[in-house]
Amino acid sequence: MTSPTLTLLSDLTPPSLERTWLTAPHPTLPIVATCSSDKTVRVYSLTNFKLLSTISGGHKRSVRTCAWKPHIKGESVLATGSFDATVGIWRRWDNYGRTEDEATGLGLSSGADGVGKGSSNANAADSGDDDGAEDIDEEEWRFAVLLDGHDSEVKSVSWSPSGMLLATCARDKSIWIWEDLDDGDNNFETVAVMQEHGGDVKCVAWHPSEECLASGGYDDTIRLWREDLDDWGQVTCLKKHEGTVWFLDWEGTETTPSFGSVEDSSLRSRWVEQRALSGPRLVSCSDDKTVRVWRRLPKVNGDEPGAMSSAATGIPSIIRPTGTDENWEEDALLPYAHELAIYAVAWSSRTGLLASVGADGRIVLYEERVVASSAADSDVMDSEPAAEKPALRTEWKIVSVVDGAHGIYEMNHAAWAKRADRGSTEDEEEVLVTTADDGSVKVWTLQR
Amino acid sequence: MAEMQNENPTILNLADLPTRSRSAVKTSDQPSGIFAAVPNPADFLSSDSEDDDLLEEPIDEQEIYDLIKSISDPEHPLSLGELAVVSLPDIFIKPTLVNVPDSPLQTVTVLITPTITHCSLATVIGLGVRVRLEQSLPPRFRIDVRIKEGTHSTGDEVNKQLGDKERVAAALENGALMQVIAKMMETCQ
Repeated sequence: MTSPTLTLLSDLTPPSLERTWLTAPHPTLPIVATCSSDKTVRVYSLTNFKLLSTISGGHKRSVRTCAWKPHIKGESVLATGSFDATVGIWRRWDNYGRTEDEATGLGLSSGADGVGKGSSNANAADSGDDDGAEDIDEEEWRFAVLLDGHDSEVKSVSWSPSGMLLATCARDKSIWIWEDLDDGDNNFETVAVMQEHGGDVKCVAWHPSEECLASGGYDDTIRLWREDLDDWGQVTCLKKHEGTVWFLDWEGTETTPSFGSVEDSSLRSRWVEQRALSGPRLVSCSDDKTVRVWRRLPKVNGDEPGAMSSAATGIPSIIRPTGTDENWEEDALLPYAHELAIYAVAWSSRTGLLASVGADGRIVLYEERVVASSAADSDVMDSEPAAEKPALRTEWKIVSVVDGAHGIYEMNHAAWAKRADRGSTEDEEEVLVTTADDGSVKVWTLQR
Repeated sequence: MAEMQNENPTILNLADLPTRSRSAVKTSDQPSGIFAAVPNPADFLSSDSEDDDLLEEPIDEQEIYDLIKSISDPEHPLSLGELAVVSLPDIFIKPTLVNVPDSPLQTVTVLITPTITHCSLATVIGLGVRVRLEQSLPPRFRIDVRIKEGTHSTGDEVNKQLGDKERVAAALENGALMQVIAKMMETCQ
């Protein structure tokens, strides 16, 4: 197998003229949302890379972050976090797909209404094509609700895998968990406020399948949170980074490392077994220029299995000895590849590849490979019970480096998305979407 | 800011501050510092007339110094240059990506010496310097403003704040803070 390389596919046009912070791919539709310092969010098509809508009027300062609510049909819901200390919830009936071919350049700009937060913004200059005259209400982004609670700049927002919970974090050192009551009236209820972090909380990210939240921040720590008998509490605090933790991402639930020449079905099943015990791993990147992977240590046999995960049995454990403390360890320190702060890391849930980007304007792609262990290893393979075999060893290799990916500009974010343009050759082909200081957003294909 | 934190700062004579004219005659091994000759105003004019060559001319430490020396101290009616909060030997320009020889990225490091070791305005001064450079230099420069080691009681804390892109970006949207910064910049051309 040859190493994957990144090739520029397209820019998203027209770009923001000010710094863009983050681009969130929609969970199902071929669209992305880009947050900008110009206080707006731009929605672009991944089919033709053109601007679809500009969401404006809701925030008074930079929009720093946004996230699409998963698992809703017929409508898209976007949460936005801003330096104005608020979180906005926006809704729009899905029809991008239906009219896509002709209408992708349509200026479907909308403004906030109802709450007096700014006025409708036609944004004609940005809307590209001129056939946007047929704008009707259903095609517009509707400002649903403003979540007020943070005292200072909101840095990150994340929906739980079910879409029921929204986590938000800010410079005020707190993490808020909100429950979307889904009552048709856009009501959200504050479920928890966690204030353990010693500095700005820079990022929050939900576990891909469980209600477990990871956070990282200015105090250089990564913390994990779970609900225990109605109370959200910290289950672990990881202190290895020597600088601000800028971003976190979770491993997908389906991917495996590359087995290469050591491919062997028993090795693969051993990997899957191992993974089932510790669950998806977490990756972090930091101002200290490192990328680290974290893994939960499976509880030793007989050591209160109930505390480990109620998800395993489906029944919440009644006896939980001393809280829900979990043991996590550093699984890997990825090869050093950045010269300046690393602002984002993205773990592909389709390919298992990791991408990191940062202030040095470089995209680095890493692949995890299973290391062929000693010859003796294959002898024990089929005879010993799984638990006694040595853990499968893997190592992370840098497989591609793109310097000056956005010219001289710093990159603030990277995310994997399903490829949707006509050039796509296979069903599950992926693109990497990178977001930079000059407002540019670029889409890269992966070639093997 | 009601009470002066340092009422009697050491003040350098404006004429003694390093200028382009002196760096031009550096070859004569003239000692830099207070023995330097008074600069001739004509030197400034002549350097201005070189605008045509500006694109080719690399930006050097002196130019960085010239950009920030005239920023006013938030507490004294004096410039950062006069107070020696910024000084030419504490400015460094280095390639950002050492292993990528053709990369245009350069890192400008400015070490700040607060007038007193517990100056609470160190962050504001640092932010002022950073903002001034961000607004004046082409975007291929990465700006690294920090407190000179051992000159401030909470230097690491201040450095972490000044190095935090997100905090700096948010500060630029903070009206009250930007008023202070704008006041400091009034003395810059």
